[in-house]
Amino acid sequence: MNLLSILTFLPLIAGIIILVAPSGWQKQFKYITLAVTLVQIAISGYIYFHFDNSLRGVDLINSYQFKEQISWIRLDLGSMGKLQIDYFLGIDGLSVPFLLLTSIIMMVATISSWEIKTNLKGYFALFLLLDTAIIGVFCALDFFLFYIFYELMLLPLYFLIGMWGGVRREYAAIKFFLYTLAGSVFMLLIMVGLYFSVTDPETGNHTFNMVHMMNPANYSGDSIFGSLAQQTLLGIPARLLGFIILFIAFAIKVPIVPLHTWLPDAHVEAPTPVSIILAGILLKVGGYGILRICYGIFPDAAIHTSWWLGLIGVVSIVYGALNALAQKDLKRLIAYSSVSHMGFVLLGTASLTAEGAAGSVMQMISHGFLSAMLFFLVGIVYNRVHDREIANFRGLANIMPQYTAFVMIAFFASLGLPGFSAFIAEAFSLIGAFNSETVNGAIPRWMAIAGSVGILLSAAYFLWTLQRMFFGQTRLMGGEEWRTKLNDLTMREKLALAPLALLALILGVFPSLAFDKINGSVLELIHHVTGK
Amino acid sequence: MEQHDIIPVVSLLAVLMPLLSFVLCMFFVPKSISGKVAVSSIAVSFIASCFVFFKIWNAGNIHIQHHWFTLGQTSWDVGLLLNNLSALMILLVSGIAFLVHIYSLAYMKGDENIDRYWGYLSLFCSSMLGLVIADNLLLIYIFWELVGFSSYLLIGFWRTRDAAVQANKKAFIMNRLGDLGFLLALMILYSQFGTLDIEKLFGDGGLFHLSQFTSGEWIAPLGHISYVWLLVCGFGFVFGALAKSAQFPLHTWLPDAMEGPTAVSSLIHAATMVAAGVFLLVRVSPIFDSTVLITIAVIGIFTAFMASTIALVQNDIKRILAYSTISQLGFMMLAIGIGNNGAAIFHLATHAFFKCLLFLCAGSVIHEMHYAKNKLDADCDHQDIRNMGGLRKMMPLTFVTMVIAALALCGIPLTSGYLSKDAILISSFEWATTRSFAAKLIPYLAMLTSWLTTFYIARLIFKVFYGELRIQGDKTERLIHEAPRFMLMPQLFLAVCSAFFLFSVNPLSYENTWLLKVFPGSVALERIHSYHTVIPALLNLFAVLIIYFAYIQYARKEKAMFRENTWLYNFALNGWYFDEFYHQAIVRPVTYVSKFSFSIDRKVIDGLVDIVGKSGVLLSSIAGWLDRKLIDGFVNLAGRAAAGLGNFFRSFQSGRIQYYLAVMIFVVLTFFVLRYFSPAI
Repeated sequence: MNLLSILTFLPLIAGIIILVAPSGWQKQFKYITLAVTLVQIAISGYIYFHFDNSLRGVDLINSYQFKEQISWIRLDLGSMGKLQIDYFLGIDGLSVPFLLLTSIIMMVATISSWEIKTNLKGYFALFLLLDTAIIGVFCALDFFLFYIFYELMLLPLYFLIGMWGGVRREYAAIKFFLYTLAGSVFMLLIMVGLYFSVTDPETGNHTFNMVHMMNPANYSGDSIFGSLAQQTLLGIPARLLGFIILFIAFAIKVPIVPLHTWLPDAHVEAPTPVSIILAGILLKVGGYGILRICYGIFPDAAIHTSWWLGLIGVVSIVYGALNALAQKDLKRLIAYSSVSHMGFVLLGTASLTAEGAAGSVMQMISHGFLSAMLFFLVGIVYNRVHDREIANFRGLANIMPQYTAFVMIAFFASLGLPGFSAFIAEAFSLIGAFNSETVNGAIPRWMAIAGSVGILLSAAYFLWTLQRMFFGQTRLMGGEEWRTKLNDLTMREKLALAPLALLALILGVFPSLAFDKINGSVLELIHHVTGK
Repeated sequence: MEQHDIIPVVSLLAVLMPLLSFVLCMFFVPKSISGKVAVSSIAVSFIASCFVFFKIWNAGNIHIQHHWFTLGQTSWDVGLLLNNLSALMILLVSGIAFLVHIYSLAYMKGDENIDRYWGYLSLFCSSMLGLVIADNLLLIYIFWELVGFSSYLLIGFWRTRDAAVQANKKAFIMNRLGDLGFLLALMILYSQFGTLDIEKLFGDGGLFHLSQFTSGEWIAPLGHISYVWLLVCGFGFVFGALAKSAQFPLHTWLPDAMEGPTAVSSLIHAATMVAAGVFLLVRVSPIFDSTVLITIAVIGIFTAFMASTIALVQNDIKRILAYSTISQLGFMMLAIGIGNNGAAIFHLATHAFFKCLLFLCAGSVIHEMHYAKNKLDADCDHQDIRNMGGLRKMMPLTFVTMVIAALALCGIPLTSGYLSKDAILISSFEWATTRSFAAKLIPYLAMLTSWLTTFYIARLIFKVFYGELRIQGDKTERLIHEAPRFMLMPQLFLAVCSAFFLFSVNPLSYENTWLLKVFPGSVALERIHSYHTVIPALLNLFAVLIIYFAYIQYARKEKAMFRENTWLYNFALNGWYFDEFYHQAIVRPVTYVSKFSFSIDRKVIDGLVDIVGKSGVLLSSIAGWLDRKLIDGFVNLAGRAAAGLGNFFRSFQSGRIQYYLAVMIFVVLTFFVLRYFSPAI
C-alpha cells in the first residue's frame, strides 16, 4: 500500500472499528482517535521530510510524488467510448503542506473533543470519516475521486453540526449543507463536461485525470471545453463559464463575500472541535481547489478573471474585518476574522505572482494553525461558563493568566505581528498583489493598498477585544459562580495550544520550512497560467 | 580580517542577549532573580555595543548576510549592516537601556508582576537593537512592529488600569496605521528594484541611483511607473515615521502612553523607540525629493510648535514631558526636512540623554510623591505638578540633575542641547535664505518654539521644586527624601552625559562636534557667519528672560499673569482637541460603518439566502400540495372510477339464481321485442 492511501484510509478503518466496537468501550474511543491522528502526523511528517522540493508537480504528471494509480472503474459505454476512472493519488508542493496541516489540526480537534459527552460512538465515527475525506481531497488527482471525497466531507459535517451543535444547530447545519451543496452540484456538471472533452493520451479514452485536464493538447478539438473550439454556453465562452462555476463552488468554501454567511452561523453553532476543523482545514479546501483545479484546468480563464478575483479578495478582507469589529459574540468575531484573513488568499492568488501565490498558500497554512487556536480558546471559556458574549467578561487576565497569555499570542499572531506566520503570509500576499501590475498586469496596485487596510482593522478588533474582555478589573456577568468556574488552563488544553502557537512562531521565523516545499509548485503554477 | 568576523558576532550578541533574557524571564527563571537576569543581559549587550562602536566608528562598514528563504526567484536574506549610524544607535540604545534597567531595579521593586516587566523590557531592547542594525527594510519593518508590540505590552503593563489598556490599544493601532505607509513604501521599492536591501538600494552605486526620471516617469531596473509613486513611496516612509515618532497628525498616542511605568516612558517613549522614525528617515533619505522634504520640514516644525503650546499648560508632570518629546522630535524632523540629517541624528543623541534624564527625575519625584500620598492616605494625583512644590530641599540631587536636563532642553550654553539645537536652528536659517517667504517663516517658528520650550520646562521645574509642598500632613517633610541609590546613579550619570564635553570640546560651537563630522548634511548649505553668533545669542538672551519670568510667576508667585479658563488655555489644555476630533471623525464613523456592514450581512445577504431558502420551502410545499391534490387526485380518481366500475359490475355477480334468471329473461325478451319491431336487425 502506498503511504498516501494509508494516510487517507487509516481513519476510515478506525472509524469502522469504533462503529462495530461494543458501546462499553465508549471511554476508549477518543484515545483510538487520538492515536490515529498521531500516526497520521507521523506519516505526513515522513512525507514532508522525504518530499523532493525540486519536483514541481502541478501540470507535470511525472513530477508528482508518492503517486498511486490503480484503474478503478472501466466500463465500455459502446459508442461513447470507455468510461475510465482511476484511483489516482499523488502530491506536489501545493498539497504537501496541507497534509501536515490536516494531520495536526485533526489532532488538536481530537483533544478538543474531550468535551463531547453524548453519543460518542457516532461522533468519533463521523469524525474519522471526515478525516479520511479531507486527506483524500488533498491527495486525489482524479477528478471523480476528488469529487467523491469532496462530497464525503459534507455528510459527517452536517451531522456533526446538526447533532452536537448549539441552540440553532439545525438551522446552521442546513444552511451550511445547502450552501456547499449548491456549489458542488454545478461542479458535477463541469466535471462531466471536462470528462467528455479530455482524452487520456495513452489509452485514448476519456478520462477524469486532473493532470491530463491541465494540458490543452489532451482536449479534442470540437469538445465543449476544448480551447480551439471556442464554444459558448448561454452566450458565455464555455471555458470561462466552467471556471466561474468551479470557482463559485470552491469560493463558497473559502468563503468569499457575499457567499460567506453560512460560516458565522456554522461556526457559532458547531461544537468547538468542528469549528476547529471548519476554520482550520475546510476553508483551505476551497483555496486549494481554486489553485489546483480552477487555475490548473482553466488557466486562460484565470487570467481574464483575475481582476474580479482580486476585487472579491479585497472586499472580503475589508468587509470581513468591518463585520468582525461589530460583533458582540467572541466566536462570531473570530468567524468574521476568518472571512477577512481568507480574503488575503484570494488576493494573493489573483496576483499571479510567485510572491502572491506563495503568500496565499502560506496564509492558508498559517490561518489553519491560528484559527484552530482561536476557536479552541473560545471553546475553553464557553465550556466553563456557557457564555461567550464579549460584554459579559472583563479582566479575565487576572483570574486566567495563562489563558490570557495564549489568547494574546493567538490574537497578535493573527493580526500579523512579525515573528508569526501570518505576517509573512499577509505581507507577501500584499507584496505580490502590488507587484502584479508591473509583472503581469493581473490586478491593479490599489487592491494591495486597499487590502492592507485589513491589517489595520484586524489590529483594531483584536485589541479592542483584548481590552474589553481580558484587561481592567475583573467583572463577570455570572459573578462569583463564574469566577469559581473560570479555572486557568488544564494540562490537556496547554498540550493542544502550545504546538499551534509554536508552529505559528516557527513558520514565522523560518518561513523556508513552508516556502521551500511550495516554491517549485507555485512557480510551475504561475508558469502554467501566465506562461512566464 | 579576523576582526571582521568577530564584530558581527558581537553585535548579534548585543541583540540576542536581551532576547534570551525575555525568554528566561517569561518562562523559566523565578520572579526574584528575573531582574538580575535582565540587567546582566543588557549589561553584556552594552559592553558588546561599546566594542562594536569603537571598531566600526569611522572605520568602514560591515555588511553580512545570511540566506533566509527563497520565494519565486528572489532570495530573501537576513543580515547586519554596521555603519556609523547603526554603531552610534546601538551604543545609544544599549547604554540608555542599561541605565534604565538599573533605575528600574529600584523603581519597580515590589511589583507583583515584576518578571513580566523584565521580560517585556528585554523584548523591547532586543527589537530596538535589531532595528538599528538590520540590513534590509523588511527586517527593519519586522523590528519596527516588534518595538511597537513591546511598547504595547509595557504601556499596558498595569493591565488592570483602564486608562493604561486604552492607551496601549491606541498606541498600537495608531502605529499600525503608520505601518501601512511603511509597508506601501516597501512594496513600491520592491516592485521597482526587486530587493529591499539597504546597501543594494542606497549604497554607493546602488540600484536607486540607477533610477531615471523622464517626463513624469520613474524608470527603475524592474519597473516603469509614474513619478507620483516616488512621492507616494517617500510619503509612505514619512507616514510610518510620523506614527512611530509621534508627529502630527499621528501624535496623540504618545501622551496617553504615559500610563506605562515611568522608567518605560523614559527609555521607550522619550529616548529610543520614538527616535526610530527619525532613524528610518535618515536610512532612506536618498529617496526623498524636494516635495517630500519640504513636507517633512513643515510637519516637523508644526508639530514642534503645537506640542510646545500644549506642554505650556499641562499639569501632569509626565504629560508635560511627553509633549516636550513630541516637540523635540519635531525639531529632528525639521532637520531632516531641511536636508541636515547630521543635525537630526545629533539632536537625537543629545535628546536621548537629557529627555531620558528628565523622565527618570520625574520618576523619582513621582515615586516619592506616591510614597507620601500612601502614607498620608491623601486623595490626590501624585503626578500633578500642582500638588508638588518645594522638593528641592528634600531631593537635592534629583533637583540638580533635573535642572541640568532642563537646561539642556532649553539649549543653554555648556549643555549638549545647546549644541544640537543650534545645529538645527542655524542650519534652518541658512536653508531658508534661498527660499520663498513662507519657507522663511519656518526658522522663526522654530525659534519661537524654542522659547516656549524654555517656558514650559521652567514652569515645571519651579512648580515642582520651588514654593511649598501642597499635599500637607504632619510629617510630609520627613516622608519625602532622596530617591534610592539605584535610581540616583543613572540620573547622575545621565546628567554628566547632558553636558557639552561628551560631544564637543568647544562648548559654544556645534561645528566641532565629532558626531557632525561623520554625518555631513546631505544638502550642502552655505555657511552664513553672522548666524552662528547672532542666533545663539538672541536665543539665549530671551531664554534667560523667560526663565526669570517663569521664576516670578511660579516660584515666587508674586502675581498670576495668566488667566486660566480662557479659550486659548482650554484649547492647549485639551491638546488642540485632536483626540475629540479623531474620536468624532474616525473612531465613531468606523464603528458606525462596521455596524452598518453587519446589518447588511444580516439583512441583505442573509435575507437573500433566507428568501432563497423560504422560496425553496414554498416551492416544495406547492409541489407537495400539487402532489397530494392534483396528481394524487387523478390517481385517486382513476382508482375510484375503477372501484366504482368494479362495484357496479360486482353487483351483477350476486350469486342469486333468480336474479340471473330474471336478467336472462329480460335480455331474451328485449331481444325478441327489438327483433319484432325492427326487422333490420
